[in-house]
Amino acid sequence: MVTMSNFPLAIIYVLGAVLLLILPRRVRSSAALAFSVVAFIFLLHLETGASLTFPFLNYELVLCRVDRLSLAFGYVFVIIGFLGGVYGFHVKGLLQQVAALLYVGGSLGVVFAGDLFTLFVFWEIMTISSVCLIWARRTSLSNKAGMRYFIVHLFGGSALMAGILWHLGETGSILFNHFEGGIASYLILLAFTLNAAVPPLSGWLSDAYPEGTVTGSVFLSAFTTKVAVYALVRGFAGLELLMWAGAIMAVYGVVFAFLANDGRRLLAYHIISQVGYMVCGVGIGTKMAVNGAIAHAFAHILYKGLLFMGMGTVLYATARSKMTELGGLVRSMWPTLIFFMVGAFSISGVPLFSGFVSKSMVIYAAEIEHLGTVVLLLHLASIGTFLSIGLKLPYFTWFSTDRSLKPEPVPLGMYLGMGLTSAICIAIGVYPALLYNLLPFAVHYQPYTASHLTQTMQLLIFTGLAFWLVMKKIHTEATITLDTDWVYRRPSRLAYNVFSVQVTRLFEAVEELSIRFARFMVKLGANPPGYLIETIRNAGYVFFRARKPTPEPLTFSPDRYRISLGIMVLVVLLCLIVILVWDFLF
Amino acid sequence: MKRTWLVVSITVLVIFILLDLFLVNGHIHVEFPWSHLAGFFALFGFLGCLLIIVVAKLLGHYWLQRGEDYYDKNGDNE
Repeated sequence: MVTMSNFPLAIIYVLGAVLLLILPRRVRSSAALAFSVVAFIFLLHLETGASLTFPFLNYELVLCRVDRLSLAFGYVFVIIGFLGGVYGFHVKGLLQQVAALLYVGGSLGVVFAGDLFTLFVFWEIMTISSVCLIWARRTSLSNKAGMRYFIVHLFGGSALMAGILWHLGETGSILFNHFEGGIASYLILLAFTLNAAVPPLSGWLSDAYPEGTVTGSVFLSAFTTKVAVYALVRGFAGLELLMWAGAIMAVYGVVFAFLANDGRRLLAYHIISQVGYMVCGVGIGTKMAVNGAIAHAFAHILYKGLLFMGMGTVLYATARSKMTELGGLVRSMWPTLIFFMVGAFSISGVPLFSGFVSKSMVIYAAEIEHLGTVVLLLHLASIGTFLSIGLKLPYFTWFSTDRSLKPEPVPLGMYLGMGLTSAICIAIGVYPALLYNLLPFAVHYQPYTASHLTQTMQLLIFTGLAFWLVMKKIHTEATITLDTDWVYRRPSRLAYNVFSVQVTRLFEAVEELSIRFARFMVKLGANPPGYLIETIRNAGYVFFRARKPTPEPLTFSPDRYRISLGIMVLVVLLCLIVILVWDFLF
Repeated sequence: MKRTWLVVSITVLVIFILLDLFLVNGHIHVEFPWSHLAGFFALFGFLGCLLIIVVAKLLGHYWLQRGEDYYDKNGDNE
């Protein structure tokens, strides 16, 4: 029975998306917000332990399974869906609005799915709706990047389906719980880590997210990777491989982010880095670490949304997002700078901002397990985060060279969206219990300790000092950075060359050859003996330095090549002599 | 100007070292080789920041950074 306690929230969004198609243009934005509010009310009524099953063929699908893990993600997804709606209130494009709602719905569907088939269906809804948020920008770059994104995720989806079927064959169960190993679970792990953007499966993220629409990228930054983190927590908590992958990807993200020129690409690389903390927490697998991973996902969705809102506002107002083309915006766009800095301080883990209370949980969990290398890698990633997002990006966007840009006015909704998100980021930072009470396990952790505060302040202040020392030497460069997407982008040119250019060339060569042959046949057919004679004479001229031949006529004339009567008589007489001699001798 | 900044940084560093020595050292929950080094995280932050910049720039210049038309040199291939 469907009741308020086990209501699948995804349905609200899917129905909402359908309704949007028929609603008049001017109420669509408000309607989208209303759906989020309705979903939030339903969310508050969900009860842990409740589930909704639905018989399908021989299986029991679990459309909704409520526990503290799914609830934690459910809350943050509904909240960011609402905030994104406020930020994108001015958007009139139907494609974007419908895709955004479906994307939120798909993510909630995955998070509350109790079985693997339901999970797969919503997983694919996410893929399709998210790619629409990229295509909705309607530029040549976004079309191509979207297509690459789509193909990579279709591959991931296929791996997931294969894994699910294999798992079903092995165990006979389609329930989504912790996986015990074996090929089936590795296929599923491949699909999950692809969506979590674990290198080397991360190229799609930094390739596609910067090409999304202004509001689309806010949604993109929130859902796909964090849904994957949820799936990893549920299916693979405690897998040591993930711990190392996470720690390495945290550093990988910041190194590549430092090279990025496009502001939103820089932020995209920091998604990889931040998801690294979460994946690392999942890999450590203790209660503290899993709590930390989820807390960090929660805080990250909000502050990364805020950062994408900030850079999106700059893009909206100036139509630029590359640091080489930006600068000196502080006079005209200072409110955006303030909101952006709230996000930047949150992601850098400055005390009193949300990142401080979540990131430190993961690091603390690694400390308890005595994972020294992991701890240092994560600290290093923190340094890089503050360097790129707290210092470099705002410096080159709002200060540095004044390029006397004239930004367009920004809709109120964008400010409101950023303001609300900033407020939540600060609220969580100041009063961490807000966040900790939502986590699946009881939290025995206090972020505001003397040692932790001095540690963090030392890291941040001296990172700032180092940046200040070399600031004048850092130039932004109008380049792109090769990443693992090279593997399918560069050979695509090779494939294009082999299968299209070279094939065309082969056809052209064959055509040329046939035409030549035809010409030859025409020439030969017009005057065969003339051709023969001319060839022999030419050979004589070339090899025996004979007299230069006069060319034969092009058309055949019987009189020219008729053999004279005397030669015929001579031949007949010679034959007669031969026969006579033969007869006489034998 | 530069001098002032230098003085400020060194003062901050000294304050942190003193804090580490007298406030933090008694409350270490998990022991690591660096746990008792006063001011370790200041040094780690400073060197780590430079390390990231240098490594990223080296990787970029000698390997990863290419012209913006790298993937589309022959115009529109699709």
